[in-house]
Amino acid sequence: MKFTIDRADLLRALNHVHSVVERRNTIPILANVCLKAEKDALALTTTDMDLEIIESVAAEVSQPGATTVPAHTLYDIVRKLPDGSTVELSGAASDTTLQVKSGKSTFRLGCLAVEDFPRMGADEKFAYSFSIPAADLRMLVDRTRFAISNEETRYYLNGIYLHAAESDGVAVLRAVATDGHRLARFEMPLPDGAKDIPGVIIPRKAINEMRKLIDEAGDAIEIGLSENRLRFSFDHIALTTKLIDGTFPDYDRVIPKNNDKVLEVNPAVFASAVDRVSTISSEKSRAVKLTLGGKTMTLSANSPDSGSASEEIEVRFSAQPMEIGFNSAYLMDVAKQIEGEGCRISLSDPASPTIIQDVADASSLYVLMPMRV
Amino acid sequence: MQIRQLPETLINQIAAGEVIERPAAAVKELVENAIDAGATRIDILIREGGASLITVQDDGIGMTADELSLAVERHATSKLPDDNLVHIAALGFRGEALPSIGAVSRLTLTSRPRDAKNADAAAITVDGGKKSKPAPAAHPAGTRVEIRDLFYATPARLKFLKTPRAEAQAVRDIVTRLAMAYPDISFSLTHDDKSVLELPAADRLERLQQIMGRDFAENALPIAAERDGIRLSGFAALPTLNRGTSQYQYFFVNGRPVRDKLTVGAVRGAYADFLSHDRHPMLCLFLDIPPELVDVNVHPAKSEVRFQDTALVRGLIVGGLKHAIAAAGHRASTTVAEQTLQSFRAPAPSSAVSRWDGEYRQRPPSYKNLKGMAGAAYTGSYYASNLALDDAPATRNFAQDAPAASAPEQQNLSFPLGAAVAQVHETYIVAQTADGLVLVDQHAAHERLVYEKMKQDLASGGIARQSLLLPEIVEMDAPAAERLLGRKEELEELGLMIESFGPGAIAVQEVPALLGASDIQQLVRDLADDIAAYGQTVALKEKLEGICGTIACHGSVRSGRRLTSSEMNALLRQMEATPHSGQCNHGRPTYVELKLHDIEKLFGRK
Repeated sequence: MKFTIDRADLLRALNHVHSVVERRNTIPILANVCLKAEKDALALTTTDMDLEIIESVAAEVSQPGATTVPAHTLYDIVRKLPDGSTVELSGAASDTTLQVKSGKSTFRLGCLAVEDFPRMGADEKFAYSFSIPAADLRMLVDRTRFAISNEETRYYLNGIYLHAAESDGVAVLRAVATDGHRLARFEMPLPDGAKDIPGVIIPRKAINEMRKLIDEAGDAIEIGLSENRLRFSFDHIALTTKLIDGTFPDYDRVIPKNNDKVLEVNPAVFASAVDRVSTISSEKSRAVKLTLGGKTMTLSANSPDSGSASEEIEVRFSAQPMEIGFNSAYLMDVAKQIEGEGCRISLSDPASPTIIQDVADASSLYVLMPMRV
Repeated sequence: MQIRQLPETLINQIAAGEVIERPAAAVKELVENAIDAGATRIDILIREGGASLITVQDDGIGMTADELSLAVERHATSKLPDDNLVHIAALGFRGEALPSIGAVSRLTLTSRPRDAKNADAAAITVDGGKKSKPAPAAHPAGTRVEIRDLFYATPARLKFLKTPRAEAQAVRDIVTRLAMAYPDISFSLTHDDKSVLELPAADRLERLQQIMGRDFAENALPIAAERDGIRLSGFAALPTLNRGTSQYQYFFVNGRPVRDKLTVGAVRGAYADFLSHDRHPMLCLFLDIPPELVDVNVHPAKSEVRFQDTALVRGLIVGGLKHAIAAAGHRASTTVAEQTLQSFRAPAPSSAVSRWDGEYRQRPPSYKNLKGMAGAAYTGSYYASNLALDDAPATRNFAQDAPAASAPEQQNLSFPLGAAVAQVHETYIVAQTADGLVLVDQHAAHERLVYEKMKQDLASGGIARQSLLLPEIVEMDAPAAERLLGRKEELEELGLMIESFGPGAIAVQEVPALLGASDIQQLVRDLADDIAAYGQTVALKEKLEGICGTIACHGSVRSGRRLTSSEMNALLRQMEATPHSGQCNHGRPTYVELKLHDIEKLFGRK
């Protein structure tokens, strides 16, 4: 195998694929990136057995071939090469090393046999395929990602639940994430071909890798879906992930329907007030109390350790005065998601779930469980 | 084969299998008899671990010849005067011991009543269940029981005896346990003509010192608590005096040595805050409880008891222990100082000399060189002679500071932890007290202070609860779920709201906000196990306190941080004011005190 490639092209591709590779691996070959040169392109593949990214870039191939080399090492080398340089990679099929040459620098990297590199069924047939505008997919991930659970025992919450649903008579594609304390739901018009898709849970790592790639995508992103795989592809990049094998809880049940005490507030003002007041609340519980009455909301926090804080902000609220406590970090997470001028908070009582929505945008909805303080 | 009534001898042999399973059990029965007979001195002699001979001699009330004859009959006893099993005031009552022993050995009873009217001594022998007629004998007032060839009539049991050493050890354990409960009785135990125990009559603490050692007696906290007619007394060691097993925990219920999971759990609960879970305090507790509130007739050997109100007893033990530990304030056990002294003495004099020759002599004694040497303790230290100067972070080194050394401020010397003199290795504070010196581990001490404060805040401020959007359903077996639900209110106070979710499942509605996103399933299962094993909800408290502990660890002054003398003095004063500051969260001491007297001993001046 022998080929020459622009350092910038190679770096960009490695940048996309190297983060799939875990820093520590029990199977040595999983630390490697698979390089395959044929015709005028180089295909790079990395995998952690659950997630695979393949990207191909243009290269001058003088001798086709394939091998695998340590991904992080190769990435670090290419990263440190000067701008505008070209890189020549070469090695005979029988060699145990791959030579990386650029200008006056030469590196030899240990190779592992390409036949041992695990493939995630790249030729798998996907029963459903549809395309989503990149902007919508970006929104879908951003609006829900923060609520994904990190708690490994409830593995079925460690991802975003994607499924087709109906909202007010309109068919929508819906994404839901929850960690048991709060829930985020995003919906967008159902793309063609997604009508019959099964509900799937996309794991956190795939979401994060996907999110990095979305920014590079031009307009539409192709999604392929089967019972246990999801493929996300555009241009020359394809990401295939296994799906979480579990049942997502019946989230609709926990979204309250009759929260009649409605409060409207500017999300930016609200978020910064919560941020300020929570300086006082104790390190771990981060509780903030909201006291509502008439046109003001008083945010307050108390800590036997560091004192107390309170701040008043103007709100629109017409129901009976009430008090309710929340985890300040959760409030800020949600407030950050709201881009419009107004944020609508629908309450029921201090022990029941609360709904937060953007006044101007009905596509996303957040449910927050209060805290008893 | 026809059903028939078994002969008396066989019945007694079967009964013996339950009551007398080894020589120690026989000794226990006999010593208990002697105690019930009001003895002031009990002498025990065994040979070959008790297999060939056991004699127990007391100076109790004794028996007449007629009583002797009856004593070796089954279900004959003087200890249930009103035929009532509810009021059991004596140690024995089943009337099984003597006939059971008689059935499996050659038993001789010799006794003379203390009562002067029938002052004739008599003896009776039982040989493998065959009783002789009482015969006149010579004996001082009291009773002597002699068992020869125990288990000769039941060869199977004989085969299962352990080595004489092991059996003698078991006898010793039994005798010490009983001796702890009855300090006013003198005990002696002789094995194969060697004196094993010699315990003169004493008060309770002296007796415990005789048995558990001087360390225990010096570091024991007296326990006294009473609730609803139940009295708890005894002694418990400071948390810093701990052991790797719970073997050194003794419990007595109405003078009866008892091993009970309730008491073990209560002790664990009381000390949970001060010891890591694999360390156990030494203690000896006596529970005096009206006989009608406890059932001792659970086990033939009476090593288990059943309380009518377990919650009350547990509460009493936990409360009593916690109160005593709190009262001890910042004390750390004296063993800590002793260990320190020993480690000072450890290097042999010769090596010390050669070290001196090899290392120190070659260098001129300049402080600069001292600083560079491994083991030179003076690098970061400075003296607290001038408070105003030292309030600026100490950047000066020893060389500049040394000449300024002078006596620390007089007023601080009178505090229990004295006045800070210096900081060594930026880790330990050296303080001078009126009669010695104190070494403080700054990180451990401060960690404990922060932790105690957090716990106080937690207790006063209540625990914030995060409600769950999706209730966590934990499946477990039905009795475990029942047990948890029985503690619903207690758990709610700690921030965990649970509800029944059909048989064998529990729905968790709210969790302590402090826990964040941790594994609730595991926590709830641990709690259920705790309740089953110890009857209390330790796991949740431990978890919360563990988190407090971690925060405390991060929030406290680290080793390697240079402290000004006012900071050091402030730390010492806070330690004096804070309960439980003598040990860190894992039971290690936070400070060591060396008395001037000990230091003088080190230098051979005393």
